Amino acid sequence: MSLDAFAASEAFTLGVELELQIVSRHDYDLTPGAADLLRLTSRRKLAADVKPEITSSMIELSTGICRGHADVIRELLEVRDALVADATKLNLRLCGGGTHAFQDWSHRRIFDTPRFRQVSELYGYLSKQFTVFGQHVHIGCSSPDQALWLLHAMSRFVPHVIALSASSPFVQGTDTGFQSARLNSVFAFPLSGRAPFALTWCEFGVYFEKMRRTGVVESIKDFYWDIRPKPEFGTIEVRVMDTPLTVERAAAIAAYLQCVARWLLLEKPFQPVEDDYLAYTYNRFQACRFGLDGIVVDPQTAEHRPLRDLIAHTLDDIQPHAVELGAQAGLTLLRAALSAPHGTDAAWLRSAQAHEQFLPEVVRQQCLRFEGG
Amino acid sequence: MTDTLWSLITAPWALQPDTLVGAAVLALLAALLGEMVWRRLCWPRLLGYSVVGTAVALTGGGASGHEPALRLAVDGALALLLFEAGARLNLRWLARNPWLLATSLAEAALAAAAVWLVLRSLAVAPDVAAPLALIAASASPAVLQRVVGEMRAAGQVTERLLALAALNTLYAVLALKLFSAGLLLSDPSTWLNAVSPVLFSFCGSILLGAALGEGLALIARRFDLREDNAMVLLLAAVLLALVIAKTLQLSALLVPLLAGIWLRNRSERPWVWPRHFGSAGGLLMLVLFVAVASAWRFDSLGATLGVAAALVLARTVAKATAVLLLARPSGLGLGQALCLGSALLPMSATAWVMALEFSLHHPAAGAQLMPVLLTCLALLELSAPLVVMASLRAAGEIDVQTRSRNA
Repeated sequence: MSLDAFAASEAFTLGVELELQIVSRHDYDLTPGAADLLRLTSRRKLAADVKPEITSSMIELSTGICRGHADVIRELLEVRDALVADATKLNLRLCGGGTHAFQDWSHRRIFDTPRFRQVSELYGYLSKQFTVFGQHVHIGCSSPDQALWLLHAMSRFVPHVIALSASSPFVQGTDTGFQSARLNSVFAFPLSGRAPFALTWCEFGVYFEKMRRTGVVESIKDFYWDIRPKPEFGTIEVRVMDTPLTVERAAAIAAYLQCVARWLLLEKPFQPVEDDYLAYTYNRFQACRFGLDGIVVDPQTAEHRPLRDLIAHTLDDIQPHAVELGAQAGLTLLRAALSAPHGTDAAWLRSAQAHEQFLPEVVRQQCLRFEGG
Repeated sequence: MTDTLWSLITAPWALQPDTLVGAAVLALLAALLGEMVWRRLCWPRLLGYSVVGTAVALTGGGASGHEPALRLAVDGALALLLFEAGARLNLRWLARNPWLLATSLAEAALAAAAVWLVLRSLAVAPDVAAPLALIAASASPAVLQRVVGEMRAAGQVTERLLALAALNTLYAVLALKLFSAGLLLSDPSTWLNAVSPVLFSFCGSILLGAALGEGLALIARRFDLREDNAMVLLLAAVLLALVIAKTLQLSALLVPLLAGIWLRNRSERPWVWPRHFGSAGGLLMLVLFVAVASAWRFDSLGATLGVAAALVLARTVAKATAVLLLARPSGLGLGQALCLGSALLPMSATAWVMALEFSLHHPAAGAQLMPVLLTCLALLELSAPLVVMASLRAAGEIDVQTRSRNA
């Protein structure tokens, strides 16, 4: 399969995908319930789409093409309420969070479809350890070159959304010290990381063809990049976020990315260059490890600044675009998170565990939070 | 007690389950066979235990249910399993999915009714057919939990299977108690003397169950149940409650079951402990399955086989029909419903103990129903766990990698 033509879409439209955890109401461990949940949900008519994911204790929901924050939140709330109602019937529960706090990955089952089986055979235990839950945001682009320009310009904001969404402090029953430990699992994959620096679709096509000839990849799906182009949708897809604990937070982060994209494309505050990536993995690590308290480096000025300040700054920069796109409600939520004591989901999870000293109970409270209760 | 101890010394080589050497050899054989069955065939270990029990039954030396030491082990094992069964039962689920409650009531009622009709048509006396019908409403939580646990089954069919088994056991125990009380109360010569023990037994079982549940919640709140010491505490509390129940002649089945239900439903907080209370529980399980499988009598097989087979058939068809009819509204696919319906097959330790408790108060009817029931158990001993396993596998709820992991 060669590279698809880039199906241009309306600029700044957006779509959100959320991978959710399916847990048992008995012990709050992950439980295989995707097929049952899908069967019930398929009886409904929803704006959003619900799909299986690689393990049967995970389900993915995705909105249709949205114009702004209001569309996203409406669709997410509708599908959340539907899924929660169906899960209730099955004695299951759903929650957000980038990892399950105490699941044993060796117990996970791979969903029974040819593609997932093939992935599982290739990656072995990695594919089970990959039982992590992310949020993906698609941003519509009117041309492939615009998409690639935006992809690289956005790379500076990757640490922002990692810190804002971080919700995976616990892995296999222990506190990792990270705010987002999920990304550590993603980095283990050979084709993860950043996209190659190509600013035109033509250049990108040459790179893709070379890679395809090596036999390492067949389609763009085989790249697990932090941000990757999605030609068939005509979008770029930002994939670094943990699934937040609430759909409200997920919608707010999507709105943040949408506003940043509009600001970047319309005002062109800087030009992306290869050197942007000098400190990329270091900055990403800071965001994963310390969240909003991470100190990131500006590769051009070599200036070190706390992420919290940078995000506050960006929120000011994108304010006019938020007004245009009707995203203020979302951004207000994020601004509040910057100053609140348990402002990030990771901090909330840690404080719940500090109080309960019992991770299954933390997962239960996580479910309550997701349900909006 | 001294007599029992004395017999251990005077007849140390009598190969009966109730002598020390008998018990040791049987445990050894059962554990070896269980492991072999698990490794070679990837079948649940309890099949190995049951094969040893069946062999003992064939030699005519099986358990009667009246051996004091053995009965204690059986009641203890059953108490643990019933407590766990109760602790899996989320009553809020029934409220949120009333069709599941309907399924549960229908499968239990239909099974009892079908068995009653079939037994009556085979000219079984009403006072024997009725208790058998009530006992047949229940499905063995012991076998189901064991198979589910060993095969690490998980999913909707498994979840419902455990819930339905806990519920139909609860119905059966309560209904049999009511029936037994009804018999005592309807007899003008006994009713006056029977009123207070019947009431005492009912209310006492419920109160003790709740008290045990509350006590265990206290333990669970303060200790980490995944640690051995907390586990021993939990185990000891259940056994203590069992001894109190026995002393006060309360139901040894109802108390642990209610305690589990109480613990699960008193708050939404999850409780997690090692399956079957770790290795101490494991030994009790082994004794339980060997004992139950050894209880039937070869010599009464011929006379009771027809009736027992009819009972099992009627029960199976009734349970499967109820589950199938209510599958869609309760949110189950038809294939899954078929798997669930057939997995409700096992009858085992709970049925045996129910019959033993009933016979204690009604020796005449008990003497007639016991051979039929034991033949049913013999029919299902080895077949039912395999059917459960096949059903769960067909439902896709047993991990395909279970085999390779253990090979």
